Amino acid sequence: MGGEAISSTNPPPAKKKRSLPGTPDPEAEVIALSPKTLLATNRFLCEICGKGFQRDQNLQLHRRGHNLPWKLRQRTSKEPRKRVYVCPEKSCVHHHPSRALGDLTGIKKHFCRKHGEKKWKCDKCSKRYAVQSDCKAHSKTCGTREYRCDCGTVFSRRDSFITHRAFCDALAEESARVAASNMSRLTSIRNDNFNFTSDLIRSNIAHDFSGAISNTTMTEGEMIGHARRELSLWMGGGDHTENLSKRNDLFTEDLYGNPFTSQYPNQLSSIYSDEQTCIALPRSGMKETESPHPLLLSVPSRYSTQHHHQHQQMAMVPDVSATALLQKAALIGVNASCATPLSSFETNNSSLLDMNLSSLATLSGNTMDNSTLTNPLTAVYSTRHLMIQKDDERGGETRDFLGVDAPIICASSWNGWV
Amino acid sequence: MDTLFRLFSPQSSRDLSRNSSSSRSSEPRQIHHQHSFLHHNSFARQREVEFYREECGTEHHLYMDEDFSSSSSSKHFQNPHQPPSTTTTTTTTTPTPTPIFDPADLSLPQDLNLDFASPSSSSVGASGAGRRWSSQLLIECARAVAARDSHRVQQLMWMLNELSSPYGDTEQKLAACFLQGFFARLTSSGPRTLRTLSAASDRNCSFESTRRTALRFQEVSPWSSFGHVAANGAILEAFLDPSSASQRLHILDLSNTFCTQWPTLLEALATRSADDTPHLSITTVVWSASPSTAVQAVMREIGQRMEKFARLMGVPFRFNVVHHAGDLSDLDLDTLDLREGGSSALAVNCINALHGVSPADHRRETLIAAIRRLQPRIVTVVEEEADLEGGGGGGEEEGEAFFKVFKESLRFFSAYFESLEESFPRTSNERLALEREAGRSLVDLVACPAAESAERRDTAAGWSRRMRSAGFAPAAFSEDVADDVRALLRRYKEGWTMRAAAEESEDASAGIFLEWKEQPVVWASAWKP
Repeated sequence: MGGEAISSTNPPPAKKKRSLPGTPDPEAEVIALSPKTLLATNRFLCEICGKGFQRDQNLQLHRRGHNLPWKLRQRTSKEPRKRVYVCPEKSCVHHHPSRALGDLTGIKKHFCRKHGEKKWKCDKCSKRYAVQSDCKAHSKTCGTREYRCDCGTVFSRRDSFITHRAFCDALAEESARVAASNMSRLTSIRNDNFNFTSDLIRSNIAHDFSGAISNTTMTEGEMIGHARRELSLWMGGGDHTENLSKRNDLFTEDLYGNPFTSQYPNQLSSIYSDEQTCIALPRSGMKETESPHPLLLSVPSRYSTQHHHQHQQMAMVPDVSATALLQKAALIGVNASCATPLSSFETNNSSLLDMNLSSLATLSGNTMDNSTLTNPLTAVYSTRHLMIQKDDERGGETRDFLGVDAPIICASSWNGWV
Repeated sequence: MDTLFRLFSPQSSRDLSRNSSSSRSSEPRQIHHQHSFLHHNSFARQREVEFYREECGTEHHLYMDEDFSSSSSSKHFQNPHQPPSTTTTTTTTTPTPTPIFDPADLSLPQDLNLDFASPSSSSVGASGAGRRWSSQLLIECARAVAARDSHRVQQLMWMLNELSSPYGDTEQKLAACFLQGFFARLTSSGPRTLRTLSAASDRNCSFESTRRTALRFQEVSPWSSFGHVAANGAILEAFLDPSSASQRLHILDLSNTFCTQWPTLLEALATRSADDTPHLSITTVVWSASPSTAVQAVMREIGQRMEKFARLMGVPFRFNVVHHAGDLSDLDLDTLDLREGGSSALAVNCINALHGVSPADHRRETLIAAIRRLQPRIVTVVEEEADLEGGGGGGEEEGEAFFKVFKESLRFFSAYFESLEESFPRTSNERLALEREAGRSLVDLVACPAAESAERRDTAAGWSRRMRSAGFAPAAFSEDVADDVRALLRRYKEGWTMRAAAEESEDASAGIFLEWKEQPVVWASAWKP
């Protein structure tokens, strides 16, 4: 079973859409490589001189130097069947052919990560990695994170941050404000940075809107809880910088903050606020009805009651102005379009953003023609993003829809958060 | 000063009175009335004053009062090392102002060859003079005490008194602390002094102050976090070992670090097994010689915060505090409901707990055996490395035994004070609090009988021997944990290193040492039944 894989293949096939890992093409040829092969670094061997190379392209370049006659220069032309690889480790889930991985590099990395010895170590902290690229990637961000507690103290060391956090007065205060039921929902928090920055936001929010948003704190808590879990998946395991001045965190802060602050309806964050609601959607159907609430709250007052009203009874839209309808369409549009980004959660931040914007563009294109009030929610959402889209392009025209002083407040709000 | 010497022997006081000039007569009044410390204005200083005023009998005013003998040599922050006598020293510092007393008349021993210009001094600054003067003086004094040479004792104590200060550099502080201990010993007021000191510190104890001191200490020095990281690593590995993973974990925490160890463990638990975080219960036992309401209040607050934090982390958590007055070996571990009906895996965490047990009556062995009976999955022992057990006998040590214990205490606490000095910034209330605590330990060590002492540390070899004979086998720290510890040490200033205990013979100690300037100071180990 464990044979050496033939190194010569055709040039890599056209880039296929990435499917879920571990669900291979049923027609593919299953290759089981030995651990030795998987760990070998110079897989590609030149048949002429025997030199080993890590990459096929490097081997080809090398072979050119041998001045081969044309016939021999050609690679074996047989069309290789699609190959999938199984992990040699018996206890591993990927050992079974039905859960094979499609990429050779993938199986190698998997084997190293899961079953290999962790030879690479970050020299700043003590985290160990089996794959060198993982370690390098980590080293870039290690030590650059700053941990900020609710009370304002900044730490450069994670352990002192955690110990401080556990005994910090801010912790005691915050628990007093937020209902206990919210706290109980915050389970399995993987990313501490979001944990603590959201506490920061939650405490700020609660502080600012304690009276007004008494009933929405429930949703807030749930949303944050779910969103955080999703977000942690999304962020792929949390080696992102936590520094509050960086954009990532800014987005996430606005992510949490935005639905609840009528003062900061800046466009960019509203994208993420919509995203947040999208993200929350798959987890519980409840979100669909609840999430528009905060968004609608963030709309300036002259629309809010109307929207609120409309949300309750979507069928009755007669008295609503065109702008209100468009807005609603935008809001709901994002909702629907957000289903797609889910599959690519592993991709990074910016790609998600791109995808969202592109989907929004298409959606806004659709709803431009006619507000499809068949699904009123869709209409609301897509219009919202229509605004954003237009705003991005032309800048200035549609700002009124989102709020009186939206752009100005945007700028200051970011400063305020930072 | 008169009072001090009067207590010892009438003869020398006659000498003194003969020598004293007219201004000397004003001294007694000065002693008793002048309590103000002029040098610092901080609130801590103010509290210091009150503290000393409260806890000291009149005798203590003598060396606590900085302005005492202001006209004689030690203006502490200016010329700290000027010995009163120039006949026996090879000092290169500036000439001394004329002392009120002429110590030459005290016929200081000629053999006191204090080298104040030691070239080995690496510290610069105000204390440009030799580094180890206090050690030499203290050793000489201890030798004299052991030999019951009261005359010499007085001379040396007088000198120490002149030179020491609780607010000076490391040497001065050491001198001050040991002097306090000597004094208590010579006046046979060891236990009483200790009680007074403890009561005073209790009065100032609060959650705020405790938290601040503990956290700051961990921030600037790995002294306590070393043991925490090693212990947490071992505990986690034992608990999360896939072959025997359990959903309910219980930790019996015998420590004096106020649960600062647990937040990182909670976080690790939460992040490691994200979906099925096991339930964790921690039972913390806090012991003290006498029950203390302040400590109870502090622990209550700590408990609340821990519970909130665990909720935040998403770890099912339960927290219990047990306050135990008296010796830990008297605590009945079976009453603590550690098994929770039999399903939980147990870990026992002993941070500085074992040395609090009296070395007499095999109490230490009793406690360790009791722990063994609990059948824990792992026992982590963190202790400070010092051979202070002495004879293990009943009464106060005399003679050679005392001298041996004294030398070891001096070595250990010198390292401790030095590390504190270098880790904390120049002025730090937290460091003062820690030094005061060390001062209390020293009074206990120098002036109290071993059987009642809670400070009789033992070496790694000693503890290992005990653990082995109780039926434990050492569990080596994994490479991961060792790496964690090394990474921890890298985060601190220079001077800290880690060393694994040598495993040459069967009786050798297990575990790892934290070393300060190549000297082992803290020992961490893990044991399995």
